[in-house]
Amino acid sequence: MPPTPGALEELVVPYLERQPWFLADMARFDRSLRGASRLADLEIVFDGRPGLASVVVTVGDRPFHVLVGWREPAHAPAVLGSRQGAVLGVCDDGAGEVLCYDALADEELATGLLAVASAGHESARRVRLVQSLVSHASLVYDERLFMKSYRVLEPAPRPEIELLLKLDEVGFEHLLGAVARWERSGWDLALVREFIPGAVEGRALALTSLRDLLGRGADEQRLRSDEVGGAGGDLSSEMRRLGEITGSLHLALAEAFGVRRLPTDDAPVAVAIRVHGDYHLRRVLRTDAGWVVAGFGDDPLIGRSGVDAERREPRFASPLEDLADLSYSLRQVAAEAVDARPPATWDQARRLAKSWERRNRGSLLGGYLGVEGIGDLVAEDRSAAATSLETLVADRSARTT
Amino acid sequence: MDDPRWYERAVFYELLPRGFYDSNADGIGDFQGLREKLDYVEWLGVDCVWLLPFYPSPLHDGGYDISDFLTVAPELGNTADLVAVIEEAHRRGIRIISDLVMNHTSDQHPWFVESRSSRDNPKADWFMWSDDDHGFGDVRVIFSDVEPSNWTFDQRRQQYYWHRFFHHQPDLNYDNPEVVDAMLGVVRFWLDLGIDGFRLDAVPYLYKAEGTSCENLPATHQLLRRIRAEIDASYPNRILLAEVNQWPDAVIEYFGDGDECHMCFNFPLMPRMFMAVRREQRFPITEILAQTPDLPDGCQWGIFLRNHDELTLEMVTDEERDYMYSEYARDPRMRKNLGIRRRLASLVDNDRRVAELLHGLLLSLPGSPVLYYGDELLMGDNIYLGDRDGVRTPMQWTPDRNAGFSRADFAQLYLPPLMDPVHGYQAVNVEAEQRDPSSFLHWLRRMLAVRHQYPQFATGSLEVLPADNPSVLAYVRRVKAMPGSAGGSPGSAGGSPGPAGGSPGPVGGSPGSDRGPTSVMCVSNLSRFAQPAELSLGRWEGCSPIELLGRVPFPRVTSAPYSVTLAPYGIYWLELVER
Repeated sequence: MPPTPGALEELVVPYLERQPWFLADMARFDRSLRGASRLADLEIVFDGRPGLASVVVTVGDRPFHVLVGWREPAHAPAVLGSRQGAVLGVCDDGAGEVLCYDALADEELATGLLAVASAGHESARRVRLVQSLVSHASLVYDERLFMKSYRVLEPAPRPEIELLLKLDEVGFEHLLGAVARWERSGWDLALVREFIPGAVEGRALALTSLRDLLGRGADEQRLRSDEVGGAGGDLSSEMRRLGEITGSLHLALAEAFGVRRLPTDDAPVAVAIRVHGDYHLRRVLRTDAGWVVAGFGDDPLIGRSGVDAERREPRFASPLEDLADLSYSLRQVAAEAVDARPPATWDQARRLAKSWERRNRGSLLGGYLGVEGIGDLVAEDRSAAATSLETLVADRSARTT
Repeated sequence: MDDPRWYERAVFYELLPRGFYDSNADGIGDFQGLREKLDYVEWLGVDCVWLLPFYPSPLHDGGYDISDFLTVAPELGNTADLVAVIEEAHRRGIRIISDLVMNHTSDQHPWFVESRSSRDNPKADWFMWSDDDHGFGDVRVIFSDVEPSNWTFDQRRQQYYWHRFFHHQPDLNYDNPEVVDAMLGVVRFWLDLGIDGFRLDAVPYLYKAEGTSCENLPATHQLLRRIRAEIDASYPNRILLAEVNQWPDAVIEYFGDGDECHMCFNFPLMPRMFMAVRREQRFPITEILAQTPDLPDGCQWGIFLRNHDELTLEMVTDEERDYMYSEYARDPRMRKNLGIRRRLASLVDNDRRVAELLHGLLLSLPGSPVLYYGDELLMGDNIYLGDRDGVRTPMQWTPDRNAGFSRADFAQLYLPPLMDPVHGYQAVNVEAEQRDPSSFLHWLRRMLAVRHQYPQFATGSLEVLPADNPSVLAYVRRVKAMPGSAGGSPGSAGGSPGPAGGSPGPVGGSPGSDRGPTSVMCVSNLSRFAQPAELSLGRWEGCSPIELLGRVPFPRVTSAPYSVTLAPYGIYWLELVER
């Protein structure tokens, strides 16, 4: 017999109120909206010792998901180790007292969860918890799969999942493909995707290139910015490839969600497509087989009443907006690299960073415009596109300073 | 010496007989000289010497333009001198393979002289003649710097002849069975004299067919299988090492089902090692490793950093080639065809740390390493010499006259030794580096000895480890678990440091030990700055890695990511024992 729903609810609500991610989420809203909490959904996943339950509690109208595990109190310390913060408390499962805790802290339960989330299609031997964010926790299974276990829920399909599924449908391959999805009572509880070991965030590669460029310091001979290497040519072929992937992402998005024509007087082509919307160097991964789009962002604001209607309206915009986001993140990472250098070198470093940014933005755009069929989405004239892109990047800079 | 799979574990040393040591003071290295220097080759820890072409030749292409396949160029000695080298090398457990050019001859070879003399002589069809130069229009010109076409007109015969390389190197016509028989005769001749195998030059181009690229044709593979069958039947322990400058999926064909070549060079890997270091990130290497197919049993890659040719950039994209030129060949004189003609030391700006890093990769990535003579000293090059002569200057033995290479007059030398203040023989030579215990030469010798102790480097599987830092390249070489064997440990297999690394017995297995299979983990920092990295070593949880050179125990692997910090261009080789 598992613990009763009432017993679980009594443990989960105070636990939630101790969690930084819950408090962070709640802090965004007017306290008066918080309202009463109530148990909205309960599934006993594993009945026994150890056991596991999926619990959804709403606070006001905002649903939170907690995976509760339990064991005999004597066994729990060995399993939880130093993760004492994961403990919910003690309750009775009919056969005596059990200690309840956040199941993600228990490797055995977290491993078993993969089979549940994938409806029995996947299993693993090892698991590691890699990230714990406000909206979700990430687990990696056997360095082969990763699972996002959502904390703040919203009605299925979650936009991220919808995008992944649609892109998969139209055959876009440069992403971490969805392997399984755990959906229950109208909510997406978890998403299982491919994991590519050894993949590196675009940001890390950009910083490597900048470190090399700015670190040349004394070697004036190499600092002529017109040289390939002198302006960070080491990244430019990567940016060209990323531009190509971005182009094919946009064509896939256009195919999956359609194209809207923008009212315009002068531009030859002005269309809006469902854009990525949060495209920057942390969202792309360099793998041994090239670039992949890692994710689509998962803002915890989504699902909130009031902002709901607007957030769920998919974002249609000019495809150049995504390129501008990415270019702007090139600018940001360059500024970051400059700041990390000694102030006395800032003048020279800024000059170099600027030509680095220009060069790599050019390669990104060049790769993008080289994609077959991209002319249906943007003007293929390179200098016009470059000017528009530059303006969009300048807008972003202006907004943040 | 009875070990049919010796090449899987061997370290090769490529040398130019003409440039190694001159015993008779005529300004040209010779076989007698090589025999005198075998002490050094043995001391270094080399298992097999690859001799660059030593046949009679007008030397318009470094001896690859052969005018007689069945003897030794007179300036190098005679066939008996070569046999003496082979016998002396074998006594030391060192094998000797020779270059063999099957695709073409020199235009001064009697076969071609006869063939071009008329249209109806007995060798008229030994080469590829045509009335026009339109045939094989889809075929690329390899030496695009100097050759406008693959066809050249012959005034005497009033016809065009086909040449895949220089116009003075006419291609043999393998559709003629007499040519096949003649070349098989050449192969048998040298094997009968005791040569341990051949490095086959320019293999992909042997057979031609209209409408194709004239590369990698089925008939070429068929001929290679025929040669291999003959070796297997009559010449045990001999090998074929093919030069196939192609992408990995085409190269793999030259292993056949283990019934063509024993070894092929891994050409695409080489420029990417340089590119990875210059870009300070691992993807150029890991990308090509991911594309490199598994080999059939008994096959091995030959891997190298530099050789007698230019650093070929055929196997990289145009954009990458521009990048390599701008980084490694700022002076146009450094460029040659689609490549960069420089020695290792010059390519790395004489940075000892980078040279160590690159050699660390060379000795630990899958394949048998091939060293190029002089690179163990960090010898430099002379870009003002023509063609590829800049990387073929005399071996630098001592700070004495002519680098101790020859007692001839300076003006008599086949090429001048390096005399510049950085790489010149006064500073860079065997004598000085042997005397200096911290020299690059001693470092490399120690690394070769360590490599010989661990069969993992030779035949282990490769697994690239995920690392969060793109400047860090980490991989594990693991021996395949042998049924009934408890695991591997240094000394239990693979032999002691030294030539021809021990018995061919199963790798792994220290009887009575309860240890699992031993792996070697190689971690390299491709950056000139110190770097941290976190590695996931889940499989080795609980194990304490041991550093191979100093046997230093490292912190135990736990379930958390394993943290390492590396000095600029630093490398670690660590032993991991599974539990």
